[in-house]
Amino acid sequence: MKNGILIFAHNSRDIDYALMSLVSAKFAKTNLQVPVSLVVDKSTVEWMQTSNIYDLSQEIFDKIIEIEKPVTQNIRVLNDGYTSKTVPFINSNRASVWDLTPYDRTLLIDSDFLIMSNRLNEYWDVNSNVMLSPAMQDVRGDRKGILDSWVSETGIPLYWATTVMFTKNNESKIFFDLVDVIRTNYNYFADLFRFNPKQYRNDIAFSIAKHMLNGFDTGAENLPPILTLLDKDLIHSVGKNQLRVYLNDNMSEDQVVIASIKDLDVHVMNKQSIIRNAKEFLEIL
Amino acid sequence: MDDRLQTALDFSKYRQTLAIQRRLLKEKLQAKLTYGAAGGIFHIDHSLISFVQLCIDQGRVSGIPLIDANENPVLIDDLVKFRDEIFDRYFSASFEYMSEYEKIKKSRTVEKLVDL
Repeated sequence: MKNGILIFAHNSRDIDYALMSLVSAKFAKTNLQVPVSLVVDKSTVEWMQTSNIYDLSQEIFDKIIEIEKPVTQNIRVLNDGYTSKTVPFINSNRASVWDLTPYDRTLLIDSDFLIMSNRLNEYWDVNSNVMLSPAMQDVRGDRKGILDSWVSETGIPLYWATTVMFTKNNESKIFFDLVDVIRTNYNYFADLFRFNPKQYRNDIAFSIAKHMLNGFDTGAENLPPILTLLDKDLIHSVGKNQLRVYLNDNMSEDQVVIASIKDLDVHVMNKQSIIRNAKEFLEIL
Repeated sequence: MDDRLQTALDFSKYRQTLAIQRRLLKEKLQAKLTYGAAGGIFHIDHSLISFVQLCIDQGRVSGIPLIDANENPVLIDDLVKFRDEIFDRYFSASFEYMSEYEKIKKSRTVEKLVDL
């Protein structure tokens, strides 16, 4: 069985997802020693060529899979420390991973997920066709809200689609087909599961699909919780498998705490912070 | 501001970073004690190590179903090999934990706590 990692990158005018994917892939390859492939669109490839990262990408990625850029109406507010911006968010084609993956067993990761340990290697042979993370874990420990654990105040548990591991077979096909049904009927499912449909979230679509295919229940096999840096946190400096970070205080913007994350996988929600440090990441790894 | 209050607030920052570093260290320990085997996933702890050793002491060394972290039964063909693996991982992870714990315990400033 061929194991591998897949990352989606569709650049927007504000965020260079391709560059983030390169950093993420280099971390993943270094620490898990498995091939990593990239799903991109034509305009993202053109930007990779213009910004001189295409040659390095060809070196790092096992395959670069070019597809049509999905059309999106999705927007989101992204914080970068204390500043914020409303940006388009191209995330609607994640369910196509089943068709696109060149691997038998795939670990799908977000481009802002940095694999700094080999923990996920323990999960390749787990006897489960689709596994997600059941929880996020705030690095600071005291900033997790109810909507980080539940789809809504009265809804089902929220899984995190930051990491998804699946075996390409009939059961996982049903799962990803269902994710696509949920995406295309998002308002209906929002009524049913009582969440705000304003912005399409893969986490929610994947959670509903997981809930339904668990027989409308929880308690299935899972990946580890996602250690998370919020988008108001900033990377201070980087080392080998190490980030030093400023952690924001929700109560007061003047209050920050510094911490060091070493040899742990981490979801860095402040994308610009990864991009600002991309050169250092790529040199160190 | 009263100097005594300022000193206390500065010290509280150090304590906050210390608490985060200790929590991250525990998280790292848990990550290193996660062990995938025979299609199951195990959290290596004293209970697992003791039970496996007990089975071996009783002469049960092959074809043993163990209950994994997801409460699924997992058939372990070679329990001696399994024991050796979890033993190695436990000691490697706990020695590393101890060494890093001692290091942060001795770090009396935020800079030292985060290796700056």
